Amino acid sequence: MNTFSGNLRRDLEVRRYPILVYAMTPLAALVLQAWLPRILGGFAWFDLPLVVTVYFALVQRIPIQGTLMGAGMGLFEDALTSHAIGVNGIAKTVVGFLASSIGTRIDVENHTIRLALTFLLSLLSSATYVFVYRGLLGINQQWTWFVDIFKAVGSTLIAAALFPALDRLQIRE
Amino acid sequence: MESFFIRYRNLLVLLVILLAQIIGLAVQVRHTGAGRNSLDPGDGAGVRLIRLWADAVVTPPEQAIHSTKLGVEYVWQNYIDLRHTQSENQELKRTIDRLRLEQAELLEDALQGQRLQALAAFQQKYIYKTVAAQAVGSSGSDQSRVFYLDKGSADGLQRDMAVITADGIVGKVRDVFPHSAQVLAINDQTSGAGVILATTRLRGILRGNAIGQPQIVGILADQRIQPGEKVLTAGGDLIFPRGLPVGVVDKTVRDPNPDKDGFIDVIVKPAAHLDQLDEVLVITSTEPRFSEEQQQDLATSEAVKGAEAAAIAEQKKASAIMAERLPGLIDPNLPPEKQPLLETTNPDPVIRPPQALHPDRFTPGGAAPPKAAETPTAEPQSSRESSPESSPAPPAAPKRNPQP
Repeated sequence: MNTFSGNLRRDLEVRRYPILVYAMTPLAALVLQAWLPRILGGFAWFDLPLVVTVYFALVQRIPIQGTLMGAGMGLFEDALTSHAIGVNGIAKTVVGFLASSIGTRIDVENHTIRLALTFLLSLLSSATYVFVYRGLLGINQQWTWFVDIFKAVGSTLIAAALFPALDRLQIRE
Repeated sequence: MESFFIRYRNLLVLLVILLAQIIGLAVQVRHTGAGRNSLDPGDGAGVRLIRLWADAVVTPPEQAIHSTKLGVEYVWQNYIDLRHTQSENQELKRTIDRLRLEQAELLEDALQGQRLQALAAFQQKYIYKTVAAQAVGSSGSDQSRVFYLDKGSADGLQRDMAVITADGIVGKVRDVFPHSAQVLAINDQTSGAGVILATTRLRGILRGNAIGQPQIVGILADQRIQPGEKVLTAGGDLIFPRGLPVGVVDKTVRDPNPDKDGFIDVIVKPAAHLDQLDEVLVITSTEPRFSEEQQQDLATSEAVKGAEAAAIAEQKKASAIMAERLPGLIDPNLPPEKQPLLETTNPDPVIRPPQALHPDRFTPGGAAPPKAAETPTAEPQSSRESSPESSPAPPAAPKRNPQP
């Protein structure tokens, strides 16, 4: 029970980071997401922008910020593809909103919960992507579910290493 | 009312952002005639601007990382990893000496081949102007198989130019920025390249599937298609020149579309390493690039060919006139199965000359002219149709009683 409710002080706690972290972490995530597939080939099963979005949305606990960050990251990803701009944007917007909304209700200090959320939100992002493409746009796009499972697992593994590293960068009073 | 906005501001912001993106998506999609939607292949001005910004943000760090990687590799290969270099160097020198001799022989053959091709008016566009470029980044999405080059419009790149490697085709330039370009790989689901199977000569369209394998889609099932068959560009898409290697057939699968029963998709193993590209070539010109001497030979060949063609046409015309004048072996009065040419019962048929209109003492057989033979309606149709100037006129009988 304590895990899911936490005390009031912890629920309302908003972490603060140096401005450089806010600026460079999303940018690094976008650049690496675009560059690493050149090295890893077809095995680039991860979504770094999603991991960063989930992290900042969870620790900030402000839904509007999470929504805007998700939208920004998603639109940026879309701009680098050959697809319509907005498909990833909608998916990451939903992820950012949900992550920050959940962050106000559960104990985000628990590492296991954060990883589980990352895995589930990655699957949700993929599902939203497919829904927008096929349902909203009506475009016939082939899709394989196992790639998205692998991608969710890869994102979770990266989150397992990245979240503690980013935790160390927060400003402690 | 104010409390409503304050209370639900999070949800309202979410809805506004989602709605804005949905409207933006609706602008980018167009309805096709087949009742389906597709993405507009040409980006609008606003969309292109967003792509330009994203490219301007991401490409410089990617180029920096890529240059660093190349520098580290260079240092490692040239200054650190030097084991067995001395022995390899001696071996390579011996190889160079041998190759120089072979090269001289091959050069002679190549020059001769080029001259022969020019003389034969070999106008297929097989010599190209290319620009070498480095692949520095990708889309980062497994749903969009695009990558970025470090060359752009400043280097002469344009939209829809073909991108190849020494192994085979890679993709086409989808979008061009001042110092970078976006390339749509052949294994993307939205790509399309005209290809032909080298042995069976079946043509199809190559595009990617969900897991990034290039496949020839929607061709009729054919048992002649076997794994290992070469796939080449067909040249009909106006992007890839004809005859460039694409890959080999890996396997065939049934078309997943239930409406296309009897159709198959041919999975192709690409010749180029699409997942790990480093340096590529962009074909910036497909015009023939012959030397002046070859161009002169080509013009001479064209002139000679024109004269020969005129002479052949003249000969054909003369042959046609001659055929009209000579008696034919086809009798128009007989049904096709009874034509003398088709007669197979007699292995040594006797070809009879047509009867003369006015037999005389020089007529074969020497028989006296029957009265009936003087009737013009009894002669064969082929003789009747002969014009007065084309059929030899019989000797005119002297007029015994000329009328005043």
